[in-house]
Amino acid sequence: MTLLAINQFDDILMESAIGIVVVFTALTLLVLAFILVGKLSRKSISLKRKQKEIQTEVVTAPEKILSGNEIAAISMALHLFMNDVHDEESNVITIKRIERRYSPWNSKIYGLTNLIR
Amino acid sequence: MLLILLALFLPLSVFGQGGDDSGSVLNSLSTFWSNTGFANFEFKYLVMIAVGVIFILLGIIKNWEPLLLVPIGFGILIGNIPFTPGYQVGIYETGSVMNILYSGVIQGWYPPLIFLGIGAMTDFSSLISNPKLMLLGAAAQMGIFLTFMGAYAIGFTPQQAGAIGIIGGADGPTAIFLASKLAPELIGAIAVAAYSYMALVPLIQPPVMKLLIPKKERLIKMKPPRAVSKTEKIAFPIIGLLLTTFISPSALPLLGMLFFGNLLKESGVTERLAETARFALINTITILLGVTVGASTQADRFLTADSLKIFALGAFSFVIATAAGLIFARIMNLFLKDGNKINPLIGAAGVSAVPDSARVVQEQGLHADKTNHLLMHAMAPNVAGVIGSAVAAGILLSMLA
Repeated sequence: MTLLAINQFDDILMESAIGIVVVFTALTLLVLAFILVGKLSRKSISLKRKQKEIQTEVVTAPEKILSGNEIAAISMALHLFMNDVHDEESNVITIKRIERRYSPWNSKIYGLTNLIR
Repeated sequence: MLLILLALFLPLSVFGQGGDDSGSVLNSLSTFWSNTGFANFEFKYLVMIAVGVIFILLGIIKNWEPLLLVPIGFGILIGNIPFTPGYQVGIYETGSVMNILYSGVIQGWYPPLIFLGIGAMTDFSSLISNPKLMLLGAAAQMGIFLTFMGAYAIGFTPQQAGAIGIIGGADGPTAIFLASKLAPELIGAIAVAAYSYMALVPLIQPPVMKLLIPKKERLIKMKPPRAVSKTEKIAFPIIGLLLTTFISPSALPLLGMLFFGNLLKESGVTERLAETARFALINTITILLGVTVGASTQADRFLTADSLKIFALGAFSFVIATAAGLIFARIMNLFLKDGNKINPLIGAAGVSAVPDSARVVQEQGLHADKTNHLLMHAMAPNVAGVIGSAVAAGILLSMLA
């Protein structure tokens, strides 16, 4: 009887050990997978950045120095654009025509006395 | 008293009639009396009602897990009103309303729905940004397996021991799910123990943390987590599901729903579904689960020596799980370079109990150094603990069912 109990406890011990190992295996695999995914993601981000840098280098090539007036004009234009200033209105006033729909409640014919002759 | 009140309201003429009639009235009254809670009252019901009131007060006054303790506490009151069996009133009477609502617990379909909501709420970014912290979530599951052995050693069957062990996972839905499959007769005690200790995490964990982590290590500051791309967030539930459930398919109902909920949240195109899962659905199921688990603690079934043993084992498993997480964090630090060391306090968050254990870590971190905020870092082992405990439940289910 005791022997049986010990054997069963051994089984429980074994099952627990397996359980702990499996939990660690599952989560370690997740760790590895996400270290990999993280690396790939960082690589793709740095690749995109590099491509952007190359593109922006091409665009920002001109070395012409702008005058103060030009900078002020561009700044003003940007300021107006960004703040969406409505300094000019169309000055057109529209009057919408209201359509009256037919309804027996306001029909003239029902407001008169209809005498049958 | 009740009889006097009834007599006052009954027409006097009823009593004015013949002896036989007054006898039948008295018979009716005595039948009515025998069906009242007063007639069926036993001291054990009062004990359970007191427990229910304490749960409600802890939830309201102390604000300890009120979303769980208030429904469970009220459920305990519902389940412990004494009644005469046979009227389809009690939660254990087949066909009663409470019994129908309880089917979600017994057949184990409430927990996966809760997991769906948890998935739709949880942000796994901190975990994705520092994946090695997932191991802390695995280490804390030691509590489950040590309690499993302990429960078997003190006389529970292997199935019951497995169901009791899962309390150490500090995850109510997982505990209910496994108990419903392995030991339905213990489900009330296991669920109440799991939820009670989850509410008591702010009391259980700090002493263990102070005992096992020296002051110097509590001061370690961790690097802020890196930004995580949307692609990584979308990949996480898909890869997570495939890797974990291929290893432990029995955890599929829990992990499947958890990762599905997370995909709904992260995909960005199913916001309506995610919103339903994280608000309406999880709230509905939490209400039903809380009330029915509480009501299942009917005194005649709950107040047993086994329940007391389960409570003792539950406390043991929480302490072991916390200690295992903390010690494993210290061991990890031995292998990490100086700049990458982790604050071992976050190991305590490896027991699920989301987000309470992470909050405890934050408080303890601030206690040691007012500028050291560990909450974000602690959330990583915390959510890993949810995955770990579900995997552990799957393993126990496949080995013992």
